[in-house]
Amino acid sequence: MNAFEYFQPTGLAAASELLRDCGSEARILAGGTDLTVALREGRLRPRVIVDLKRIADLSSAIEVHAERVVIGARATMSEVAAHEDILRLCPALAEAAGAVGSVQVRNRATLCGNVCNASPAADTVPVLAACGAVVEIKGPSGCRTMPVVDVIQGNRRIALDPGELVAAIHLPAGPGLHAAAFGRITRRRGVDLAVVNVCCSIDGSGIATFAFGAVAPRPFVVRDGGELAARDIGSSEMEALMDVLFSGATPISDVRASAAYRRAMVKVLAGRVLARAVRRLATGGGHA
Amino acid sequence: MPEWCSMDLTVNGEPRTIRVRPNEILLDVLRDRLGLRGPKECCAVGECGACTVKVDGKTVNSCLMLAVEAREANVVTIEAAAGSGSMTRLQEAFLEHGAVQCGFCIPGMLMSAQALLDRDPDPDDDAIREALSGNLCRCAGYYRMFEAVRAAARPVPPPDAPAPVPAADRAAAATDSRRGEDLRRNRRVAVGTSVKRFGGPERVRGTQRFLADISLPGLLHVKLVKTDAARARIVSIDVEAAKGAPGVVDVITAQDLGNPVPRFGPVFDDRPVLADGEVKYHGEPVAAVVAETKEQAAQAAELVKVELERLPAVASVAQALAPDAPLVQDASLRQGDPLARTNVLKERSYGWGDVDAARADLVVENTYTFPMVTHFAIEPHGFMAKWEEGRLTLWSPVQHPFLLQKVMAKLFGLPLTEVRVIAPDPGGGFGGKQNPKFEPLVAMLAMRTGRPCRLVLTLDETFQAVRRAATEIRVRTGFSREGDILFQDIKSDFLLGAYADIGERVMTKASYLGVGPYRVPNARIRARALLSNTVPSCAFRGFGTPQMNWAVESNIDAGARRLGIDGFRIRLRNLADKGDEIVRGDVPADGHWPQSLKLAADAIGWNEPLAPGRGRGIAVGIKSGATTGLSNSTVRLLADGSAILYAGTSDMGQGARTIFAQLVSDALGVPLSRVSVVMGDTSVVPFDLQTSASRSTVFMGTAISRACADIHAQLREMAVEIKGVDPDQVRIHDGIVAIGPDEVSIPEFVKANLRQWNGELVGNGRMRKPHMEDHPLGGSAAFYEFNCTAFEAEVDEKTGEITIHKHILVGDVGKALNPVQVEAQDEGAAIMGLGHTLMEHMVLDQEGRIRNLGAIDYRIPTSRDLPGTMQALMVENGDGPGPYGSKGVSEGGLLCTAPALAAAVTAATGVEFQSLPLTPERVWLKLNETEIPGSGPVGRPVGMDRKQGPT
Repeated sequence: MNAFEYFQPTGLAAASELLRDCGSEARILAGGTDLTVALREGRLRPRVIVDLKRIADLSSAIEVHAERVVIGARATMSEVAAHEDILRLCPALAEAAGAVGSVQVRNRATLCGNVCNASPAADTVPVLAACGAVVEIKGPSGCRTMPVVDVIQGNRRIALDPGELVAAIHLPAGPGLHAAAFGRITRRRGVDLAVVNVCCSIDGSGIATFAFGAVAPRPFVVRDGGELAARDIGSSEMEALMDVLFSGATPISDVRASAAYRRAMVKVLAGRVLARAVRRLATGGGHA
Repeated sequence: MPEWCSMDLTVNGEPRTIRVRPNEILLDVLRDRLGLRGPKECCAVGECGACTVKVDGKTVNSCLMLAVEAREANVVTIEAAAGSGSMTRLQEAFLEHGAVQCGFCIPGMLMSAQALLDRDPDPDDDAIREALSGNLCRCAGYYRMFEAVRAAARPVPPPDAPAPVPAADRAAAATDSRRGEDLRRNRRVAVGTSVKRFGGPERVRGTQRFLADISLPGLLHVKLVKTDAARARIVSIDVEAAKGAPGVVDVITAQDLGNPVPRFGPVFDDRPVLADGEVKYHGEPVAAVVAETKEQAAQAAELVKVELERLPAVASVAQALAPDAPLVQDASLRQGDPLARTNVLKERSYGWGDVDAARADLVVENTYTFPMVTHFAIEPHGFMAKWEEGRLTLWSPVQHPFLLQKVMAKLFGLPLTEVRVIAPDPGGGFGGKQNPKFEPLVAMLAMRTGRPCRLVLTLDETFQAVRRAATEIRVRTGFSREGDILFQDIKSDFLLGAYADIGERVMTKASYLGVGPYRVPNARIRARALLSNTVPSCAFRGFGTPQMNWAVESNIDAGARRLGIDGFRIRLRNLADKGDEIVRGDVPADGHWPQSLKLAADAIGWNEPLAPGRGRGIAVGIKSGATTGLSNSTVRLLADGSAILYAGTSDMGQGARTIFAQLVSDALGVPLSRVSVVMGDTSVVPFDLQTSASRSTVFMGTAISRACADIHAQLREMAVEIKGVDPDQVRIHDGIVAIGPDEVSIPEFVKANLRQWNGELVGNGRMRKPHMEDHPLGGSAAFYEFNCTAFEAEVDEKTGEITIHKHILVGDVGKALNPVQVEAQDEGAAIMGLGHTLMEHMVLDQEGRIRNLGAIDYRIPTSRDLPGTMQALMVENGDGPGPYGSKGVSEGGLLCTAPALAAAVTAATGVEFQSLPLTPERVWLKLNETEIPGSGPVGRPVGMDRKQGPT
């Protein structure tokens, strides 16, 4: 592994300053489950590593505020997957967080890191995108928020300015707000990267929002007009609607799957998560 | 922050202050700085879990954590798992339930399993499978681990409640009741019981020393320099920058090796120590860097500049056989070989009867492909050498220390006495740690530098060092309408790599038994071994048989479907029973194979109603056991009644050490606790050919039994001399010396009498199966390894995902000397078979380069990928050539996994498969192909020799 300078700032301001000064030569370290692989393989050779884990202002807390769950920058996938409020209010996020890697990986990987890493196959991103989660960004010019879908600009590209970092994720959640389900296709059942993943979230008015991973460089998000979750929709009508709705997916062929398979799985998975989301909506409303 | 920083942390309960550099990995610091070698390195990407440790109460992959991140943290490794106790309940349960095989994954596995129990004291099956899914075990002792976790989770029963009986004890109790008479006479019986694994305690405590765990003073580290070409002319290699890099001691290329560049190999001396003028496969090293530290060697290797002229590569059967194909090997290397100007390394043909004259009612022809797969032992390959005063010492976790000794002595012109091979227990071998790979290179570096050198490959590099031959096998099978197999006409192409290694023998041995365990009146087998610009294929569990069985068994099913006969009945109809000829003129069937077939069919519930959407499949396979070779053993019975046995076998997880100790224990009446086993050092143990072809129980086991018989003869001599009795009054058997009516155990007899003789009794024994000049394999099979596998499975037709509900395997084992070890071998092989059936394949790009190097995109089964239930059954008729009628058993479980599972999937879906692996995508693709309007019924018979074929 190439040499680098390692900083473990304790304050947000110091971290922000470092990041601003070093620009693209710096990399942020949170859980490190992706970064360390890239460092070891020499794919990334930063001059500076800024470890966020000692920053007092960055929390690992998961808290419920009015109609939203706030997940701190240092909250791990294990914590997200097992958190009572998340299981109650947005089980889809717990499903997605629990699908990431192994126990060992989930004990280190953070939810915010999963977003900032901006891998097209990230499992939690479809849930956050479909449920309208917002990223809380802190930086030299203060605090701002931005929807998760807008933060991710492309494969491994995010919309943070120099010196900015993600402090928390705010997930809208509350009774009657929406019901969501997560699903994915993998090559094997144990620890794997998704060939395609998706979250379907249905809001109180019956509008279904689908967010897919691994079918485009960015999360692919589409919304229907309320037809899909309607009780009386026939299967051929649903198929036809989905064909139109998902026609913008642009999957690629790679070592994990062909574009054709990914494209076919978009619809299969969408149908399945839609059905689960509809059931969730019927049984409890909200995210239950 | 400065380059070095000092930090405090707690490791295994002790406060430590250490200095680390920011770019050091926690795993390296634990292993190299703190000497905690329990955590292991394999994948380096957080997939295998071998490096699992606990940091602040949570399990993490220490390969994915910078050491500086552990500042002020509390780190616990396997070494401290038991606290002040000698072992945790879980560690004990792992041993009791036979969960430990090679042991390399075990430290990490135990960390994960204990963490599960700590957060969930009563986990269900799903929770256990999920919790262990971040820890890969290639021996695949998963089901035993699940059992061990459940056992350790169970609260300690109150004193008067009957305690749950672990599998090992259950098996032992069954055997004990069979041998009740012996036990009443207070005689010790080890054979046939599931005694705990020798070497087990070290493995669960993390103290077993694998190659990478051995320290030598002054050790230098080697890094290979590779290119990203599958084939290219080496224009130039500039090593100057690398030579000047910090810590670098030496950098070599082929030019430093002399002219011609030395070449070696187990059969053909075709592999150069470093790429010679041309890179011939993706990953072939062109240079090697030696430095003071691993990190320095790796950094300097990046500074070596290689200029290449890329050339078209031969990477498939079609490319190898194309009329204008470039030659993979220079014809000058193949002097006198009429095929030297082709990419065909060898052609073989076998057969009997007259295929062309056979009158079949139905002929089915298909071509089946089997992909390149790699061994993926969790211990990456490692090599270490020391050159001192004209003597070469090599450390290599190989399956054949003596063959390595021979190859190295020849290569360096040294007498055998000056080449010592120390073979630490391999952390999984599976054939990949057979035949030399980088030992010559590392030895040369030790000679050049005058210091010991070590090369430990990364997992990616092991993919570029070992693999199974890919195959394309065309099978034409003729059937009678009643389902008799009338002929088999087989053309098999084995795609070897750029150098032959043992690949030609793989093709030969598998093709020779190509028709399988059947009575086939007419057979024609034409087989070729092809060279290509791919990683040299080598020995791999099953030795070509899984590839051959995939084709031949699948084709039998294809015919059976068209005849309206099920997979069980067509096999029962054609399967050879004991004494029936299979290959004409060779050793006939050596087991009651229909018994195994029926047992498997019963266990899978072949004739029972099936839930909708599910299908069943069944298949059989045989592999030829070892055909020739010599195994020697020495057994020493010491004056205090303890025994030491010496064997050149390698214990790579199969448990040879345990079996051998059991044999000695029973033969000499020495308790197992007083038997020690010495292996793995050519300067200490007598010659053994190798640990391969499931030979050790039969060959070395026989040698050991004979060494014990030699001691028996000496005991008789002693008894006659010391007691003054006639020889015919002395009977020695089963650990007893009987003189007239008086019986005494051998150890007691020795303790009482040996002092008059001085010293100890040393017995020697050997088993030799001589070379047979006129046999196509150089010798007949010492035994056949027979297996029957059956599945019940269903398919998600929308996604192509296969769910396996039941997986049954039956081995014809002769006699299980240690039932739990036999089951573990069978299950492990079966799960490895699931790997190549469901998910494993090396993916090549257009230029022949491997696209899925490493653990992220080459998938092997995890604990979550296993069938709902798996049952490893055995037939024990005591009809093998080994001790107590045993046969070899370590490959059977994967011989016919693929055809059996494919048959179940076909039964469930109606589509047939000719290519592996059956990934969700490929199954989906096949399901959709047949939905194309206008396409006929699944598959198609290629011809009917008579007018009225069955409909």
